[in-house]
Amino acid sequence: MYAARRLILAVPLLLGMSILVFGLMRLVPGDPAVVVLGYKATPEGVRALREAFHLDEPLPEQYMRWLAGLVRGDFGLDFRQNEPIGRMILDRLPVTLELTLLATVGAALIGIPLGLLGGARRRGFADRATLAIGLVGVSIPDFWLGIMLMLGLSLGAGLLPSGGFVPVGESLLENLQHLVLPALTLALSRAAVLGRLSRAAVLDVAQRGFVQFARAKGLAEPAVLFRHVLPNAAIPILTVLGLQVGYMLGGAIVVEMIFTLPGVGRMTLDAVLERNYPVVQSTVLVIGAMFMLVNLATDILYGVVDPRVRNR
Amino acid sequence: MKNSVSNLRRAWLPLAGLAIVCVLALAALLAPMLPLGSPTDISKDLALRGPSVAEPFGRDDLGRSLLSRVVHAYRVSLGVAMTSALLAVLVGGPLGIVAGYSEGLPDQLIMRPLDVLMAFPAVLLAIALMSVFGTGAMLVSIALAVVYTPVMARVARAAVLATKIEVYVDGARALGAGVPRLVMAHILPNAATPMLVQASVLMAIGILIEAALSFLGVGVRPPTPSLGLMLADGRGFMVQAPWMVVFPGLAVMLAVLGFNMLADGLRDWLDPQRATGR
Repeated sequence: MYAARRLILAVPLLLGMSILVFGLMRLVPGDPAVVVLGYKATPEGVRALREAFHLDEPLPEQYMRWLAGLVRGDFGLDFRQNEPIGRMILDRLPVTLELTLLATVGAALIGIPLGLLGGARRRGFADRATLAIGLVGVSIPDFWLGIMLMLGLSLGAGLLPSGGFVPVGESLLENLQHLVLPALTLALSRAAVLGRLSRAAVLDVAQRGFVQFARAKGLAEPAVLFRHVLPNAAIPILTVLGLQVGYMLGGAIVVEMIFTLPGVGRMTLDAVLERNYPVVQSTVLVIGAMFMLVNLATDILYGVVDPRVRNR
Repeated sequence: MKNSVSNLRRAWLPLAGLAIVCVLALAALLAPMLPLGSPTDISKDLALRGPSVAEPFGRDDLGRSLLSRVVHAYRVSLGVAMTSALLAVLVGGPLGIVAGYSEGLPDQLIMRPLDVLMAFPAVLLAIALMSVFGTGAMLVSIALAVVYTPVMARVARAAVLATKIEVYVDGARALGAGVPRLVMAHILPNAATPMLVQASVLMAIGILIEAALSFLGVGVRPPTPSLGLMLADGRGFMVQAPWMVVFPGLAVMLAVLGFNMLADGLRDWLDPQRATGR
């Protein structure tokens, strides 16, 4: 019931997002047809383009036409190559998803133990280290971290490729080699946030009554930690992890650009620089929708594991 | 007594953050008067010179002083970060206060459209906005303000919702205080604290996003020294002249770190109940 209610609320949000993206792209100053054709623009060319992309129709009609296409999975054609945008996105989506997945695993493997170590021994060395890493980690620009990793590990030490992509189908090993640095770049800054918040979650649980009771009845410290603190801290930690996945979808745009990965993020950026507005409109909506859905799924899962949330 | 000692010990982090922010802001403000040399003078003879005592950050591919460029770039960085956070406070704050105070229909009318803005990743929304706006520091500030406004509105709304049910607000109402007075004298001071904390977090993020946008070519326009643009330039030379990418990046990090430390400290100091124990 709770999950269903949240899912239904997502529909108007998605509609709002599509209206925002559509409206935004119509705010572009000047005639998009002229902008796209650039110096090659002739009156006939402009007229043909306007007709082909229905730019002469009233805006509500253009929007409804786009929306009707979206519902059928048809994103329309792009201004330049006349390729179906849906196909272009589908080709690039696996790269972005694989990158995000690897980065999530990396962030969890680095960040969660860091937070647990810190939280378990408050004010100890590990705690201070966690705090310091957390603070510095969230302050490092991820695109700069990517450049530094590339400089050190691939251009300097020659351990890993500095860019490009090999599909999983061709060679799993080479595929992973190309994704290690980008994924690590995304993972490290997210791991800092995750470590910080995991620490806070552990500390929060550690001062609850039932933990103090467990200690008072003479339970050894490791047993207190593993049996009482961690299971209860797991819920907020997983929530934070879910939110980081969404964040990484945004970070992927920059990282894909640095490591020349053919993902949806880079497609968006290329389209922005080429002023290919139909493509920008579609990819921004697709990435935005994925971000929204990941956050929604996190919310719903939180409600499933912690019934108290459902009544908020 | 014990409390004040531990308070003092706890205060070094935000104070250090404040110090970093103040020094950087002062350097940026006074940049044209500092003995740094020109950030724009080109000299082919000095191109790609490494760091030295006279030129601690080295020189770029056009022989320009990187130290001077970094200090001048802070003008854009900090300017954009502060302008965008201020705009978000001025627009998002009142929206959130009205939404939180009135609840019901006005709340829905204000917050649901803002939810749509928040449904996008911040960087993505900023890139999308810049693709429409064009490039330039002022436009980056406006784009960031659009991204931040819903965040600020949510913070203000939550603070108002929590405050307006307090007994002292009821008391003031019973004494005959009107809505403007209730909001200005009793509710706003309590909403100001979380908004201030949020503003310093947003300034940290603003520096990061401005650098990212400029790096990607959709932020500040090239002749203006910007940390993101310097990193973009430096990428082409990072093997011969690593200092071209190292120092601008460290400069971004230092400024962001300063604002994050300040935000952390402000949160603990102004809102002791939510302090996570340090």
